[in-house]
Amino acid sequence: MSKQINVALIGNPNTGKTSVFNQLTGLNQKVGNYPGITVEKKEGICKLPRGVKAHILDLPGTYSLNTTSLDESVAVELLLNKNDKDHPDVAIVVSDVENLKRNLLLFTQIKDLKIPTILVINMADRMSRKGITIDIELLEKKLNSKIALVSTRKETGIERLRELIADYKNLSKTQNVDTSVIAPEYFASLKEAFPKEDVYKLWLVITQDVNFMPLEKTLIKDTSSFTTKSKSELKRLQQKETILRYQFINGILKETYKVDANAAKGFRATLDKVLTHKVFGYVIFFLILLTIFQAIYGWSEYPMDLIDGFFASATEWVKDTLPPGVFTNLIAEGILAGIGGIVIFIPQIAFLFLFIALLEETGYMSRVVFLMDRIMRPFGLSGKSVVPLISGTACAIPAVMATRTIENWKERLITILVTPFTTCSARLPVYLIIIALVIPEGSFLGLSYKALTLMSLYLMGFGAAILSAVILNKILKIKSKSFFVVEMPNYKLPLLKNVGYTVLEKTKSFVFGAGKIILAISIILWFLGSNGFSDEFKNAETIVTNRVQENGFSASSEIYFETHQNGTTADEGSGALARKELEDRALAQEIAGYKLEHSYMGYMGKAIEPIVRPLGYDWKIGIAVLTSFAAREVFVGTLATIYSVGNDEEETIKNRMAAEVNTRTNKPLFNLASGVSLLLFYAFAMQCMSTLAVVKKETNSWKWPAGQLVFMSLFAYIVALIAYQLLK
Amino acid sequence: MDILQHILVYITVAISALYLVNKFLLPKSIWAGKKSNSKGCGQGDCGCH
Repeated sequence: MSKQINVALIGNPNTGKTSVFNQLTGLNQKVGNYPGITVEKKEGICKLPRGVKAHILDLPGTYSLNTTSLDESVAVELLLNKNDKDHPDVAIVVSDVENLKRNLLLFTQIKDLKIPTILVINMADRMSRKGITIDIELLEKKLNSKIALVSTRKETGIERLRELIADYKNLSKTQNVDTSVIAPEYFASLKEAFPKEDVYKLWLVITQDVNFMPLEKTLIKDTSSFTTKSKSELKRLQQKETILRYQFINGILKETYKVDANAAKGFRATLDKVLTHKVFGYVIFFLILLTIFQAIYGWSEYPMDLIDGFFASATEWVKDTLPPGVFTNLIAEGILAGIGGIVIFIPQIAFLFLFIALLEETGYMSRVVFLMDRIMRPFGLSGKSVVPLISGTACAIPAVMATRTIENWKERLITILVTPFTTCSARLPVYLIIIALVIPEGSFLGLSYKALTLMSLYLMGFGAAILSAVILNKILKIKSKSFFVVEMPNYKLPLLKNVGYTVLEKTKSFVFGAGKIILAISIILWFLGSNGFSDEFKNAETIVTNRVQENGFSASSEIYFETHQNGTTADEGSGALARKELEDRALAQEIAGYKLEHSYMGYMGKAIEPIVRPLGYDWKIGIAVLTSFAAREVFVGTLATIYSVGNDEEETIKNRMAAEVNTRTNKPLFNLASGVSLLLFYAFAMQCMSTLAVVKKETNSWKWPAGQLVFMSLFAYIVALIAYQLLK
Repeated sequence: MDILQHILVYITVAISALYLVNKFLLPKSIWAGKKSNSKGCGQGDCGCH
């Protein structure tokens, strides 16, 4: 059996660490979270020479071992904790050839932990263009380490890196810098109190927000033989340590690293001037957002239609092929519909992450943060929150997933929690049919009332998101750094392989993560809507057929006949459908409506009627609200089933809804008051199980999606209640 | 055949319900045996605890 070793990939952000990871592991990688927290864990397997296998862990990007975020703490704890199953046998520090000096700070810190360390100098292909020369041999000698000069773009140097990892037993563990010189007495007393521990590790535990077993911060504090220093004194010592390290690095680079200043500069500065310009910067960003929006909203439509068509055909095929019965119905209407409901989001997720990966890879995303941060920060959001918030207008699911680019946990959490307020495309079918029904004709300043209402709903969504962000920023007691530092990486052509991996990995993580929850809920919702315990449900066909024979078709079916016999919705050329065929369809629809009314879901709708009545709704709308938890657009389809009209003809559904009378008031059920109330309810309520599932996945806890569901539902209810009571 | 279809439906629905209960309600430690000690940040109010 071949030996497997643990390898940790670590480096500053924007050094091409993920590219090195991708080249080492290929498709043998998986992405998850570190246990209990929401920091992404990327790991993969790499085959090395001499039968050695490496388990490669891509640690979150960090500038030094002086942690400022949760991500960085994860990296440091892993490097400190020898008991961790992922503790590395080898650490690979990935650096960028143009920022070697800054990158070496982290390198020297890791080297001082006495972990065998390899330095990867990435982006070697830029050296000649930037006038850089490095004496690798001398640098290796000075750092007491092996170096691999790599270009992930040109795919060079990876073989040498593999060789070096396989030869890990011969890597030096000598420390680069003796940290104790910054406070000799203090370090000596530390060594005396904990003679078994490495003094640099102890120093990190004292100065950072990290622990490692069995040595925890509290243990050091409780030891009587050692008195630690005050926070400000420790901070001063940390600064001294950093200066000491840079003195060491400067000394080495002076001899080994040369840059011909005349060969560099020019293009980046010019591009930065345009992309971060006070006016053009925003215009360009707006145009890019527009393209992303168009991709999610427009381009995705074609593959989504294909997926939709495929699942419709699959449903038909299952019904035609398998023996008729409830399980066949479950496969066709519950399982296939559930899987279809997951797969349908893939094009939107893929498009969004294609753009995000391109923006990150090219280095443009950092400019976006620089541009937007000043605007978003007062609301407790990050500059990067703009992308999820705008993407949310197409669909909240990829938008919530896109928040992973936000490093600060508090800003990321706030963005996740407020994004579902933005008006997603699934709300549109509900908005359009209700607006058409209840908003009167007429215009204001040339804009129709209906258009104005739709626009107001979009604006209200954004308004609610921003307002909630402000409130959450005030009430969430999460420590986060108040300073803002953004690195402007060099512009580069995106590596298509990396972009491809990102798209693939995000899609996979949605399908196999949130997808399982969505499928399970779909099956439960199907069961509740398709089963019932009462005799009415069991004998629905006989009851409805007898009723039709005795009293004729219901008012709903009469509207259905009228619409179709006038030929308004029938295919042109084929003329009106034959009366017999229409009657068969109408009967089937009436049976379906009657069954839904007497299903578990129907009884649940009736049970919640007292709750929804103050909003101007009846039990039928109650059922539609409940079923639309699967997806908001299901609202219209459910009403169509309850009103016994086919759910593919919007005009028929609209006519039927317009004819519905409120039995208590004897007035139309869908009037201005109840219509506006419904619009507002859907504008603010968290009526989407897929979004909840994705929020759970992204926050790694049910606490946040549950809170989001309760808050948004309550808020929506109160707003809808006020609107109805004022307008009725 | 009809009974078999009903049985299959109940099994599928039960699996889905159990899956959701497990996801929503049961703490992970029930299946893991013991609680993970890795909380990453070492501070109580960072959002990951």
